[in-house]
Amino acid sequence: MPPITADIAIIGAGVSGLASAYYLAKAGLDVVVVDKGLAGGEASGRNGGMIGERTDDPPVIPIAVESINLWKTLEQELGYPTEFTHQGRIQVAVTEEEMNDLFTERDVASRQGITMELIDPEHVQDLIPGISPRVLGGAFFPNGGHANPQRSVQAFAWAFQDLGGRLYQNTAVTGFKLGNGRVAAVETTAGDIAADMVISAAGPQTAILAEMVGVHVPVAPARVEILATAPIEPLFDIALVGNGLYGRQAVRGNLLFGGGPHEWADVDLTSDPNKTNTPLIINIGRRLAEILPAVADVPMLRTWAGIVEQAPDYIPIIDFLPDPSNYLVVTASAHGFGICPATGKAVSELILNGESSIDISAFTLSRFSDIKSDWRQQRGWVPAA
Amino acid sequence: MESRPLVVVGAGAAGTAAAIEAARAGAHVTLVDENPIPTSIVALNVPQLFGQRFSDELNDSQLMTDCVTASNQRLVEAEEAGVDIQLGTCVWGAFNNTETSRLLDGPQIGLSNYRRSWMVKFDRLIVATGTRDLSIGFSGWHLNGTIGANGVHSLITRYRALTARRMVIIGSGNLALNTAKMALDHGIDVPAIVEVSPTLQGDASLATDLQNRGTDIYTSHTISRAYGRDGEIESVTIVEIDDHARPITGTEKTITADTVCLAIGLTPNVELLSLLGCDLSFNADLGGHIPIHDDAMSTSIENVLVAGDAAGVHDAMALDPEIARNQGRIAGLTAAASLRTITDAEAESRISDIPTIPFAPSDTQNLRQKWFDSFANAGGHNIYVCPCEEVTRADIVGIHPPRYLEWRSNQMDGRSLQTQLQDNPVNPNQIKRLTRAGTGTCQGRHCREQVALLLAEESKTDVSQIPLSTYRPPVRPLPLSVLWPEDESEEIRNQWPKWFHPPGKVLG
Ligand SMILES: Cc1cc2nc3c(=O)[nH]c(=O)nc-3n(C[C@H](O)[C@H](O)[C@@H](O)COP(=O)(O)OP(=O)(O)OC[C@H]3O[C@@H](n4cnc5c(N)ncnc54)[C@H](O)[C@@H]3O)c2cc1C
Ligand SMILES: Cc1cc2nc3c(=O)[nH]c(=O)nc-3n(C[C@H](O)[C@H](O)[C@H](O)COP(=O)(O)OP(=O)(O)OC[C@H]3O[C@@H](n4cnc5c(N)ncnc54)[C@H](O)[C@@H]3O)c2cc1C
Repeated sequence: MPPITADIAIIGAGVSGLASAYYLAKAGLDVVVVDKGLAGGEASGRNGGMIGERTDDPPVIPIAVESINLWKTLEQELGYPTEFTHQGRIQVAVTEEEMNDLFTERDVASRQGITMELIDPEHVQDLIPGISPRVLGGAFFPNGGHANPQRSVQAFAWAFQDLGGRLYQNTAVTGFKLGNGRVAAVETTAGDIAADMVISAAGPQTAILAEMVGVHVPVAPARVEILATAPIEPLFDIALVGNGLYGRQAVRGNLLFGGGPHEWADVDLTSDPNKTNTPLIINIGRRLAEILPAVADVPMLRTWAGIVEQAPDYIPIIDFLPDPSNYLVVTASAHGFGICPATGKAVSELILNGESSIDISAFTLSRFSDIKSDWRQQRGWVPAA
Repeated sequence: MESRPLVVVGAGAAGTAAAIEAARAGAHVTLVDENPIPTSIVALNVPQLFGQRFSDELNDSQLMTDCVTASNQRLVEAEEAGVDIQLGTCVWGAFNNTETSRLLDGPQIGLSNYRRSWMVKFDRLIVATGTRDLSIGFSGWHLNGTIGANGVHSLITRYRALTARRMVIIGSGNLALNTAKMALDHGIDVPAIVEVSPTLQGDASLATDLQNRGTDIYTSHTISRAYGRDGEIESVTIVEIDDHARPITGTEKTITADTVCLAIGLTPNVELLSLLGCDLSFNADLGGHIPIHDDAMSTSIENVLVAGDAAGVHDAMALDPEIARNQGRIAGLTAAASLRTITDAEAESRISDIPTIPFAPSDTQNLRQKWFDSFANAGGHNIYVCPCEEVTRADIVGIHPPRYLEWRSNQMDGRSLQTQLQDNPVNPNQIKRLTRAGTGTCQGRHCREQVALLLAEESKTDVSQIPLSTYRPPVRPLPLSVLWPEDESEEIRNQWPKWFHPPGKVLG
């Protein structure tokens, strides 16, 4: 079979891969995206849909802020709905410790020029009717919001195709042909792809793919769970974080909330990892009823799980490998949905101009130069026996 | 956490027989059944199509418990055999370790009595959960008054609370004929039985009895539309169809009725089996996706057995509960032997005394397809597939975003199921995410089979090739306050991570 040729081959049709593909195709490059499953079939179509400025992880702020700018016009840009709702994000505290977190974030926000307002329980009540009287206070970020992950990732996929981009689903990358310090071809279950540049946007599979070209990229997969209630009348349109949960009321009215323990997992190159739910879903449900007692009697309708990708410092990686030099790693450390438009923009700029207008200086691989190959064992980030 | 040697889910013919047999063989058996189901859930058409045709008596839970107990005389036998019977108790979840979920200390189920919920570990589980009504929508079926055969059966025999007065029955197999008989016996008028194929599907003498009692049987007919006022069915129009399931103009007939009963098939309740990871296979003659099991009723997952309609259903089973009962007895004996309360030899010998009743495969799939086609031919493509989310057949074929988004764009107009098919075989999970079909309060019970039929039709593949849309807990729509884990562990409470900053330690 003659190889498929392209300027850029992207591994992974999640939000990171597809947003990158979209902006690159828009700039006129010939881009192929492959995914072992469906576009958005993994974390990108399964996440909470929260979009914020990420004052909890300051190095992420620049890309997060630029992303929100892009989200504002993304539906028009792509031509498909995303359900982006730009009514702010509120983080509430139920313990003194969480109040202290809010103070810390206030300091970060004021240093970084992010608008946020510390608000008292009555004001929280106004913004989120039915919130628990146990709430001690909140931090309101007017620039936050949320969107529908499934629609958004599909929007990127379709818009990429509309630009002539080629998307091969149910096609797994199984290896690489190397030569002269470069990837000469990406081997897939549908044949080889010869491209000038390879972008690995493979989420939880980031590390095992990099391993195949002889580079250690520290990213660990973990399974997390989330639930949806029956739809209820509009209660709030602000993205809500608190009591260990994050979530939103979807445009349709359902409450979608996730959070809680991660279970470290191993994944492989070609198969669909189990996205199992456990009894943890009722612990999530309890926390939701605790923080929003007004919805305690609403039925839980559905649950699901997804596999997140975590670097040891919870910060994304967007960087070229030293060798092979035409291999760009793009992975988000579980921040990927909110930041995806700007991830795509940064990646396209990096490839087209050699640098990005967005500050991604904290996303280098060199920050891990000292990391031991058994870092997961040391951190305890490994699957249970 | 509580632990039980043998839990049987479902106290129908199969589950009760399994429980009795296992208990007599010395096993400690717990038998749970969700009935009586609270009105709030019945009103959501869960787990059957109850069609809002139930009386207020349903709110009297003590009365309902008495009715449910009285409706199954064998429960007395089970009690005498020492079975711990828990009525009004549903199993909303079943959990087993997988490659990415390794922290459960053994397989377990989540139960609820609709006031609170709790987890139970089991050594053996017999899933005897029966079936749910196969729903294929016709024009107007979203109105109150569209009921299913199981819904009728349940509201009459279990609850004595059916309020239908005049019922048109769709289907003429034994399921339908039996439903008609039951309705007539309870003083409900049954003016018509409608059959899409040219021939009666069920028992001829039963059909003659019904005709003698005033029921007309219309073969080569379909329903073109149910009409109503204030959301309630008042009449239905039926129409004769040609060989291609197309309506013949001029043959319409409108019948006054407050209820239309879908009695065209049943779907095995495999949700718990699916959650546990049991291998399923598609067998149209046995109702759709069914668990793979051996002659001893063991599934592919160790310690999980199946019995009765849940293992696969065919039309003869509606007339003869003995088939389900026998399967239950076999499962009960197999479980007891594997728990070592009787020897394998003893179990085998008792099993060999249980007659197996052969079944004659019917034309189930073609019939389902014909109903499906005729409803659209006679009623149009704006029939709801998913009434909860108001998703029509046309919406699915066009993969329209939900109407409330009010989204229009040229790009979106250019997309359809056909353009999706150019990229991939269609997947019901994906269609669910794009159209919302299956995300409503009935938890996909109305639309699963229809979405599969539609995807098969559009992709010109056999419905057996359409993947099963994923089941997720909770398999009953229970309130957060009911599912609330009272006994939440200190570890879960105190080591709950903040936003995606997991602690080093893994929690269970
Ligand atoms: C129209 C009609 C007429 C019938 N007539 C007769 C008759 O005359 N005599 C007779 O004995 N039978 C009759 N039946 C029932 C039927 O013939 C047999 O009961 C049968 O074949 C199936 O038995 P089963 O035990 O497999 O399932 P079912 O009888 O359906 O029992 C399954 C039980 O499991 C419960 N269940 C399912 N999921 C859960 C869960 N997650 N948690 C808790 N509980 C759950 C269900 O609510 C149900 O009570 C009739 C059925 C119909 C539809
Ligand atoms: C339950 C949950 C809630 C979340 N909530 C939020 C939130 O509210 N806000 C937020 O910003 N983030 C959230 N996240 C994190 C966010 O979803 C991820 O960071 C983001 O989706 C990562 O996108 P990605 O494209 O990098 O990776 P993925 O979505 O994981 O995509 C990677 C793709 O690569 C493919 N792939 C892997 N290996 C191969 C191979 N060998 N060959 C071909 N293809 C391959 C996979 O099939 C997959 O489709 C959440 C995640 C989960 C699971």
